[in-house]
Amino acid sequence: MRHPAFVRKPVWWLMVLGLAVWLLGPAPGWGETLKVAQPNQSLYPSADYAGTPIGPVPMGAEVNVVQQAGEWYKVEYQGKTGWLPRQAFPQPQTGSKFPLGGILFGGPVKETKSDEVALAGKGFTPEVESAYSQKHPEMQFAQVDRVEATRVDDAQLQVFIKEGGLKP
Amino acid sequence: MRRHLIWLLLAMLAPNLVVGCAGVDYVSVAHSGLKVAGKAVEASRPISDSEEYYVGRAVAARVLSTYPLYQDTQLTLYVNEVGQAVARKSSRPNPYRGYHFAVLDTTEINAFACPGGIIFITRGLLQTCANEDELAAVLAHEVGHVANKDGINSISKARWTEVLTTAGTEAAKQFAGPAGSLVTLFEGSIDDVFKTIVVNGYSRSAEAAADQDAVNTLSRAGYDPGAMAALLTKMAAMDKGSGGIFKTHPPTSERLAKVKAQVTEGPPSKEMAPRTKRFQSQKL
Repeated sequence: MRHPAFVRKPVWWLMVLGLAVWLLGPAPGWGETLKVAQPNQSLYPSADYAGTPIGPVPMGAEVNVVQQAGEWYKVEYQGKTGWLPRQAFPQPQTGSKFPLGGILFGGPVKETKSDEVALAGKGFTPEVESAYSQKHPEMQFAQVDRVEATRVDDAQLQVFIKEGGLKP
Repeated sequence: MRRHLIWLLLAMLAPNLVVGCAGVDYVSVAHSGLKVAGKAVEASRPISDSEEYYVGRAVAARVLSTYPLYQDTQLTLYVNEVGQAVARKSSRPNPYRGYHFAVLDTTEINAFACPGGIIFITRGLLQTCANEDELAAVLAHEVGHVANKDGINSISKARWTEVLTTAGTEAAKQFAGPAGSLVTLFEGSIDDVFKTIVVNGYSRSAEAAADQDAVNTLSRAGYDPGAMAALLTKMAAMDKGSGGIFKTHPPTSERLAKVKAQVTEGPPSKEMAPRTKRFQSQKL
């Protein structure tokens, strides 16, 4: 059986492989739903902290991302549109895949951050901390974990603010 | 024709090479190849939020190897509630992993802001505060140091340049774990920050900026901005003491004068009573 000419040429196979990687690899997502991973988040009217928050967004809330500008994501949440800082969301997993829609329509959300993914470009990482901790067992990292485990959830904080006559 | 197709293929792959499928492989190869040329660029890269966070964790671990953590869940939660109430109104409400507040079990009068958002207040300073608003003033001041990155900026520029170039050199062997030299540089950076926040103190300009931030933050949060001046007045009265907050801050009278000038512009809070009541219910 005789194959078509393009099948026998390596360059065509390379193109097919490239196309597959391009389509299936990470790409900006459009209309992607993300879960808020940090407590005490607020929806802001613009991509900065200057404005009065539109309203709280509790940890675990799912928001629809419509745009990214620098360190901020423009999101839709419970019928409101506003901005959340990048830190509100979980750090992306390396090698994660993103919706095809984002690739086709060129969505503006850049989920994979160069400074998070590229260990090569980073100085201090969890691995460095681990090596430092092994070198200095007297350092109380377990206590630090305990400090970080104390959290005030959004509802609790709102009650605290209200009871104390503080500004919402 | 074939040449055109190869260029087309490269153009298609370019975004993946930059963003990275797993990211690491491509970047490390590129990084290794451009290592020499990249050094100058890297040296100018600021410390990222995540790097600041890991430095802060290590500084906190070192602080906690000096001072024990006060094991009172209710008090710790209360301090965190006050801290979060002011942090959300600060100029940096959302650091990489958020703010966390804890109490150190010592009679020393002090507070420390570790880079990235871990903030300690001693029992001694808690007992010095007369009410929740003064506690909020302390925490707002420390949040100001985190927001202004005063701790992380105390890492010497020479060391940071070395960190970045070392990180670049280690790019190609990233899977073998961090190099000893990078850990040593991390160690040195922790020393830089620890010495600044615990031993030597910040510069006067950094303290003044944190005071100013604290007053603004208190106002935005609904606390009495005058609490900052009240706290500094107490500190000024104790200024002849040794160690503690006096070692880590510039002359209090100078700061007090600046804060008083700023506070007169803002209206005091009228709803202190419920806050004072819940402050007094804490076991300090």
